[in-house]
Amino acid sequence: MVDSKDFKTRLKIAKDKFKKHSIITDNNGNSSFMGTAFKLGTELVSAVLVGTIIGFILDTWFDTKPWLIILFFFLGSAAGILNVIKAAKKMQQKN
Amino acid sequence: MATNPMHQFEVHRIGPEIKIAGIDLSFTNASLFMLLSAITICIVLLLGTQEKKLIPGKLQLIAEMFYNFIAKMISDTAGSKAKPYFPFIFSLFMFVLFCNMLGMLPYSFTVTSHIIVTLIMAIFIFIAVTVIGFLKHGFGYLKLFVPSGVPIVLLPLITVIEIISYLSRPVSLSVRLFANMMAGHTMLKVFGGFVISLGMLGGWLPLGFSVALTGLEILVAFLQAYVFAILTCIYLNDALNLHH
Repeated sequence: MVDSKDFKTRLKIAKDKFKKHSIITDNNGNSSFMGTAFKLGTELVSAVLVGTIIGFILDTWFDTKPWLIILFFFLGSAAGILNVIKAAKKMQQKN
Repeated sequence: MATNPMHQFEVHRIGPEIKIAGIDLSFTNASLFMLLSAITICIVLLLGTQEKKLIPGKLQLIAEMFYNFIAKMISDTAGSKAKPYFPFIFSLFMFVLFCNMLGMLPYSFTVTSHIIVTLIMAIFIFIAVTVIGFLKHGFGYLKLFVPSGVPIVLLPLITVIEIISYLSRPVSLSVRLFANMMAGHTMLKVFGGFVISLGMLGGWLPLGFSVALTGLEILVAFLQAYVFAILTCIYLNDALNLHH
């Protein structure tokens, strides 16, 4: 009986240690600011890129150069800002 | 040129040239390192799960850690509905991680530093998630593009913006992985070149930077594989549990 009690306390101590450790690693994961910054940057740029490409394709289809590319550049920028807002909201939920 | 920082990203053919219907299907160093990473994953996981001990050995511990890590990530971000997709996300994470990590070895080739590799993976995920979304919700999946509580006048504009935002997902997913890997490896090579050109007198500072950057690059290699997998989970979550 003494043995099993001893084991239980040891298990508890080990579990507590593990918990502490996992909290620390979680914090480290959230505090990688460079990763976060890079994520937001690509979100913004990729939407502008996609918008502009869509504008370019539609322009060549309808032969309306350069009006649709201009329009879709701005729509893409708006989508990029929307992406960044969504990503930032997700980050806030996590913290 | 050995000091050219871009030289490490060149794809060259290994062995004979294979051409099928005008498409070059030769075995390259990129294919070699993809194969190597797949083989390494198989070896680690197969050896790790060979002896199922109660107190795991080193390899078994690694295999179990990978499994637990991905299982927890999926249940945290996408919920229990995403359980059937565990094999796919697990393979994806392991492949990206091992490609990144093998790229950190000297004289090796980083497969994920080529945008075509990451873009193909991202487009595959994008198409798969879209198909899953339509299968689960039918045309109700299109509600994703129509946020609630928007005045009728603004609705067409917002819908177009939402569609562009949705289409930009594979681009941002692939560019993030590719740019991180390429920028990091180029930086390592540039600092390595500084060590050589400054010689014994001034080469010590860039050498220190190189050592620090190598550590950072290993962190980035893991982090980017993690980000790639977790974003796949988030997109999957959008498709499975529709809410806007």
